[in-house]
Amino acid sequence: MELTRRRILATGGGLGVGLLLAACGSGPRRAAAGDGPATGPPRRGGTLRVGAVGKASAVNRDPHGVQVNDSDYLILALAHDPLTVPGHRPNVVPRLAARWESDDLRRWRFTLAEGATFHDGTPVTGADVAWSLRRLRATPAGATRLPGIDAGGIKADGRNAVILTSDYPNSEVPLLARLTTFTLKEDTTDVTRAPGTGPFRLESFRDGNARLVRNDAWYGGEPPLDAIEVRMFESPQAMTSALLTGQIDLASNVGPVAARTAEGRDGVQVIRRPHDMAMPIVMRTADGPFADERVRLALRLAVDREAMVRQVLSGYGTVANDVLGTADPAYATGLTQRARDLARAGRLLDEAGFDRRGTYELFTTEDVPGLAESATLFATQMRDAGVNVKVVKQESAVFWDRTWLKAPLYTTYWGTNDSVVFFAGKTMQSGTAHNEAAWKDEEFDRAYRKAVGATRGTGRATALRELQRVEYESSGYLLWGMADGIDLAAAGVGGLPKLPGYGRVQLERSWLSA
Amino acid sequence: MAERLTAARGPAAPPAWRAGQSSASGPSASGPSASGPSASGPSASGPSASGPSPSGFSASRPLSLLLRGAAALAQRAVLLAVLLVAVFAAMEFLPGDAARSSLDRGASAAAVAARRVELGLDQPLWNRLLRWMAGLPTGDLGVTSRGEQVAEVIGRHFPGTLLLGGLAFAVTMVAALALAVVAALRPSSALDRAISGTSTVVAALPEFVVASVLVLLFALWADLLPAVTVTAAGGGPASAAMLVLPVLSLAVPQIGWNARVARAALADECTAPHVEAAVLDGLPPRRVLLRHVLPGSLPTIAAGAATSVGMLLGGAVVVETIFNYPGVGSVLAGAVRDRDTPLVAGVVMVTSVAILAVLLAADLVRGWASVRRP
Repeated sequence: MELTRRRILATGGGLGVGLLLAACGSGPRRAAAGDGPATGPPRRGGTLRVGAVGKASAVNRDPHGVQVNDSDYLILALAHDPLTVPGHRPNVVPRLAARWESDDLRRWRFTLAEGATFHDGTPVTGADVAWSLRRLRATPAGATRLPGIDAGGIKADGRNAVILTSDYPNSEVPLLARLTTFTLKEDTTDVTRAPGTGPFRLESFRDGNARLVRNDAWYGGEPPLDAIEVRMFESPQAMTSALLTGQIDLASNVGPVAARTAEGRDGVQVIRRPHDMAMPIVMRTADGPFADERVRLALRLAVDREAMVRQVLSGYGTVANDVLGTADPAYATGLTQRARDLARAGRLLDEAGFDRRGTYELFTTEDVPGLAESATLFATQMRDAGVNVKVVKQESAVFWDRTWLKAPLYTTYWGTNDSVVFFAGKTMQSGTAHNEAAWKDEEFDRAYRKAVGATRGTGRATALRELQRVEYESSGYLLWGMADGIDLAAAGVGGLPKLPGYGRVQLERSWLSA
Repeated sequence: MAERLTAARGPAAPPAWRAGQSSASGPSASGPSASGPSASGPSASGPSASGPSPSGFSASRPLSLLLRGAAALAQRAVLLAVLLVAVFAAMEFLPGDAARSSLDRGASAAAVAARRVELGLDQPLWNRLLRWMAGLPTGDLGVTSRGEQVAEVIGRHFPGTLLLGGLAFAVTMVAALALAVVAALRPSSALDRAISGTSTVVAALPEFVVASVLVLLFALWADLLPAVTVTAAGGGPASAAMLVLPVLSLAVPQIGWNARVARAALADECTAPHVEAAVLDGLPPRRVLLRHVLPGSLPTIAAGAATSVGMLLGGAVVVETIFNYPGVGSVLAGAVRDRDTPLVAGVVMVTSVAILAVLLAADLVRGWASVRRP
């Protein structure tokens, strides 16, 4: 009990600092000279001090381990390269794999980058990549990290290529290879000391903090920075304080409260990375009070999306339209944007015979900033439509054990938002193990199979449009908005990442002005 | 938890040596012994409760002290064991388990079940508890849900907390005693009233309020001290200046509390006959205070300080988070969240041992202070 009280105090304490910081309009700054983002050609040299959130109890150094901490992922991504990385358009761009091709969308051949070597100088081989992917596949969550590809389907092809064979035609294999496909040397036993292939080489590591130095021999071209120091922060509030007082140069993924605090200060850049986080509300479709499609539509019409973005995200976000994967180049912009229509929502509820006397529990957690707040505001808004929603806040462990995939109404969150097909495959097609709303729709499944089974071209485009239309009309998701990813940086830091999600770790082109 | 331990140790018992004094000069009703847990130090079982035996010869005193110390130690070991059982039981009753929270959310049910077996969570609570306790004598605190040795995790993080808590404790005692003495030298003066008033207010301030204000004043506005701690390659704070604000945040409320306790103890002691005699002998106030008043009030001050140790270690959890200080507090918070029972029990054990050690030291001070008087 004591612990709980302490934890509450800790939360309150963080909040207190945040509020005080917000109240303090201008203060001294020790940020680098000059105002605003660094301009001009990238300058070589300097050590970038980066803050990232992480819990001391969850530090993970295994490239294929459970990624809880932003700080760990940042360190791993700088030292090791995945096969592919997020891009703007297209959303998948080469990294350790220079190119990939497939004739039938089942058998994919990834060719490694010319001159790719480990930090100890030995060349990266197809065997190393295949071994690492098999290791990834063998982790407890391996089946969801490389869906449709089992260990037997991962084979080296000559010295510099690897072949992945999928159980079904899947155009999204290169996208799946973006996640944690970090390559280690074949038969590595001590993963914490294993040399990587990335733009920076790990020089020291201690309790979640690390120093990485430039890999001069990086196949992607020499990074401008001499070194990157990653500092782990227990809370975004402490990280904000550190940036504002010049103890770090970049606060990665620090959240909207920090942005509000820093907005308007000289010498601090607020970097917004749109479409970073989706926090949809899941309405169970298989059974329960939201099984009727009309009820789900009524809730989508009862929510005030602008107010949600304004209040939950402090305005650092965009309104969404119930289709997940908003940063996908193929995202359906043709669908009518839903707006609040309480009269129509009321009619739909009546038609469906919805019981308005009942109380409906909405389960949520505080896993990501704004999530619990979104649930509270949503509940308030639903009262306007005569639906009595009661928010139940759960601890993370309880939520993932008892609520996720099971409850009739709960909040969820996802950090990979640049692919419509990713969500369709992972959380909506009827065969997936993580069908969050227990949604089974034949029309949708058909569209999904067509989309992943089609090579680029009109067939795929049509299938994607169809898939999104069905999702928009009848899925179990209510996606009211998209949160921006927020980084704070001192003036004089240039070349910072602009992409959402894991794109935030791409610091190999960042630089410091003199 | 620490406060509990102390608070649960029984009602205030006046120091034994006083009990033998004439009723005319007994502890005044307004003294610290009647006004709060500060004087609740050793209860009936403490070394001082039974007082020195009337026939005690000075040569046998060290021996009896030793025996009492051993008895107190044994009692505390039992208390610690009970506490650890309670921790295991409490973790068991919390919903969710370490298997789920140490895996990705994408992990299959089969993977979670396999992990449960791997972590021994399929075993009954008693088996896990006994196996964990069996390892204790060899220093084996078990393995965390992420596969690390608990002893190693604690070994990396506990020194930081000890440093923070130790410094805060030292600052607390020096400042609190100085304030109390200054106030006691001029009873009822404006200074005395100011110190008493202020100490009451700051004693009631939660650490996070103090911490937030200090960060705002000294880091964000005045730009004098670093706002947060960044760790050096060795794992400790990169500079000593980074310790200042966390130590002050922890110490300020405790200074308030201890200054009040010490001030009241000094006032109480001032009414003792030997003090009155010293004053009548015309000794200078400073000398009376240091030689005659302070030693007598030491038991109460020691008890007050002992209660602060628990508060300091508890407050460290909050303060470490605000200042990003690398200590065991964040590990404990994370371990509870992850339902990592061996790690929680390990942290609870080392902090409890630290607290019990200080309580024991406080008891010894009281025992010593009481036997050295006729």
